[in-house]
Amino acid sequence: MSFLKIEDLHLNLGEFFLQEIFITLQQGDYLAVIGPTGAGKTLLLESIIGFWKPDRGRIHLVGKDITDELPEKRRIGIVYQDYVLLPHFTVYENIAYGLKKKEKEKKRIREKVNRMAAALQIDHLLHRTPTTLSGGEQQRVALARALIVEPKLLLMDEPLSALDPQTRREARSLLRKIISGSHTTVIHITHDLDDAWALANKVAIFKDGKMMQFGTLQDVFHCPTNRFVADFVGATLLEGKVEERKEGFTIIHVDDFFLVSLDESTIGESVRVAIRPENIVVCKSIPKDISAQNIIRAKVEEILSEGTTCVLCLKANHTAFSVFVANNAVERLDLKQNDAVYAVIKASNVRIV
Amino acid sequence: MGIRALRKISFFHLSFLSVTFFITLLLLLAIGSLFFVPSWEDVAQNIWSPEMRYSLRLSLITGFISTALVMLFALPIGYALSRFHFWGKGFVKTITDMPVAFPELVLGLCLLLVFGSTFVGDFLNSIGLNFVFTRKGVAAAQFFTALPYAIRIMKSTFDYIDPRMEFISRSLGYSQFETFFNVSLPLAKNGILASTVISFARCIGTFGTVLILAGGSYMKTEVLPITLYLNISYGNMGMALTSGIVLMVVSFLAIFIFEKTEVGF
Repeated sequence: MSFLKIEDLHLNLGEFFLQEIFITLQQGDYLAVIGPTGAGKTLLLESIIGFWKPDRGRIHLVGKDITDELPEKRRIGIVYQDYVLLPHFTVYENIAYGLKKKEKEKKRIREKVNRMAAALQIDHLLHRTPTTLSGGEQQRVALARALIVEPKLLLMDEPLSALDPQTRREARSLLRKIISGSHTTVIHITHDLDDAWALANKVAIFKDGKMMQFGTLQDVFHCPTNRFVADFVGATLLEGKVEERKEGFTIIHVDDFFLVSLDESTIGESVRVAIRPENIVVCKSIPKDISAQNIIRAKVEEILSEGTTCVLCLKANHTAFSVFVANNAVERLDLKQNDAVYAVIKASNVRIV
Repeated sequence: MGIRALRKISFFHLSFLSVTFFITLLLLLAIGSLFFVPSWEDVAQNIWSPEMRYSLRLSLITGFISTALVMLFALPIGYALSRFHFWGKGFVKTITDMPVAFPELVLGLCLLLVFGSTFVGDFLNSIGLNFVFTRKGVAAAQFFTALPYAIRIMKSTFDYIDPRMEFISRSLGYSQFETFFNVSLPLAKNGILASTVISFARCIGTFGTVLILAGGSYMKTEVLPITLYLNISYGNMGMALTSGIVLMVVSFLAIFIFEKTEVGF
C-alpha cells in the first residue's frame, strides 16, 4: 500500500492551476518538487494540506481518502519559505502551539518542546520573540513547530531558499539528520538542484501546472524523458536511431557519430539518449588505452565559469553538449573558445530514455 | 545646475508645506474658538445642568451599547469580506459601504421607513424593539452610522494579516473558530482598538440619523449633538458651546488613540 497517493489532481485558481497530477510515495520517501516560478508547486502543497479543494482527483494518505477532510484533521505539517512564525507568540509558544491541542499536561509539553529545541539547537532561543531571530533560527523554529506534533507528512515550501549559502549548507545537513531520524515522509519544494541531490530520493519536475516527470532521483536526473526536464536538470538529451546490438552494447547513430550504451533497445528504433554533464571527460588529444567506449571529437563553443566549476559548451557537428569541469582543469588544459577537444563518455553513462 | 535643482526642491517643499500649515492653522483657529469664546464659568455651570447631565449620560450609554454591537457585527463581516470569495461579494461590499457616502439625514429617513410601518418594523415591534422616536432608536441610528466605518477598518486589518498564519494554525490541529480566536483576533488587536475608538466617536457624534429616527425630543432622545442643535435653535449659546466642547474632547481622544495604533483604512 502506498503512503501518499495523488490521483489525477486538477485545480484551477485562474492565474495558478494544476493539471493531471499523479504522485505515489512510500513511507519515509523524500520528494523534491522542482520547477520554475508559477509552475503550481505551492498550489500542490496547499492542495495536499487541504487549503484548496481540488476540482477533480483524489488524495489518499495511509490508505484513507482525505480529499474532503478538513486541514486540521489531516495531520500534515507545513513549513513555508518565510517560516510564517506567529508574531504574538514567543519561540516556546510557537513550538508548543500545536502540542497544546492534543497534550493537556503542561509538564509533558515543556519536556517535549525542550527535547525538540535541543535537537534543532534552538534551546537558547525559547524566550525570544520571532521578530528578533535570524533567518536560519526562524527556519529551525518553524521546523520544530511542524515536527513536534509528529505529522504523517511534512510539506516544505522552499525552506532553505532565504538562507545565505553557509547557513543553507548547515540547514541542509541538519534537515537530513532530523528527517532521517524521524522517518517522516517529506515533500520539499525547491529551486535548487543541490537540495534535491542532498536530500531527496524522489523528484517531480513541474512546469505550467503540469508534472513533466516524476521518478527516483537517479531516473529524473540521469534519464530525463523530455527536453524541458533535461534542460532543467542540466542533462544533454539527444535524438538517435539504434544501429545494432553487439556484445551487450547498443550502438546508437546520433548526428554524424555513434554512441555506445549499456541500456537495451531494438535495432531500428528511434530513441532519446540522456548524458549528465558531470559524466563527460574532456581531453585535448585522443586518449589511448582507455576503457570508455565513447570518444567524440567536438569544438569548444563557450566556457562559462560558475564559481569553482566551469560549464564547457561543446559542439560535435550539429550536436551540443554541456560538460562540467573544475576551474583548474580549464587552466591546466589551457582550454579556449574554438579549441578542438575529445569528449569521453562511459557506455554506462549513455542512458536510453 | 545643482543649486537651481535645490531651489526647485525648496520651492516645491515650501509651496506644499504652506498649504498644509495654512489649513492646519485655520482648523486650529476654528477648534480653538470653541474653547476661547465661551466663559469657563458658564461651561462649568452648564455641564452640571440637568439637561446636559441627561444628554451626556444618554450619549455615553447609547454610545457604549451601539459601539459594542457595531464591533460584534463588524468583526465577522470584515473578516468575511477580507478572506472569503463568495457570490455577490462586490454587491455586499457596496451596500455595507454605502452609508459612508450617504448624508446622515437620508440614512435616518431610510431607517425610519424600514423600522416604521414595514413588516420588519412590525416584527421588531412584536418582540419589543421599537426604534421610532425612542431611546432604542438612538442606539440603532448610531449603530447604522458607525457600522460601515468599523467594517472598513476591520476588513483592511484582516487584509494585512497573512492568511498563511491561519493555515499554519489549522495544520497544527485547530479548527477555523479556534484559529480565529487564537491567531486572527490577537493579530488584529490594533485594528480592533482603532475600529472601536472610531466607532465610539461616530456613535457619540451622530446627529442627522438620530434626529430623523429617534427624534430630537428634549430630555427624552436628547444626546450631545441634539443638545447642541436644540440650544442653538433657542439661542442658548452657552449650552450649545458646552456640548460642542464635550463632543470635541471625545473626538480628539478618539483620533489620538486611532493615530497611535497606526491602522488606517
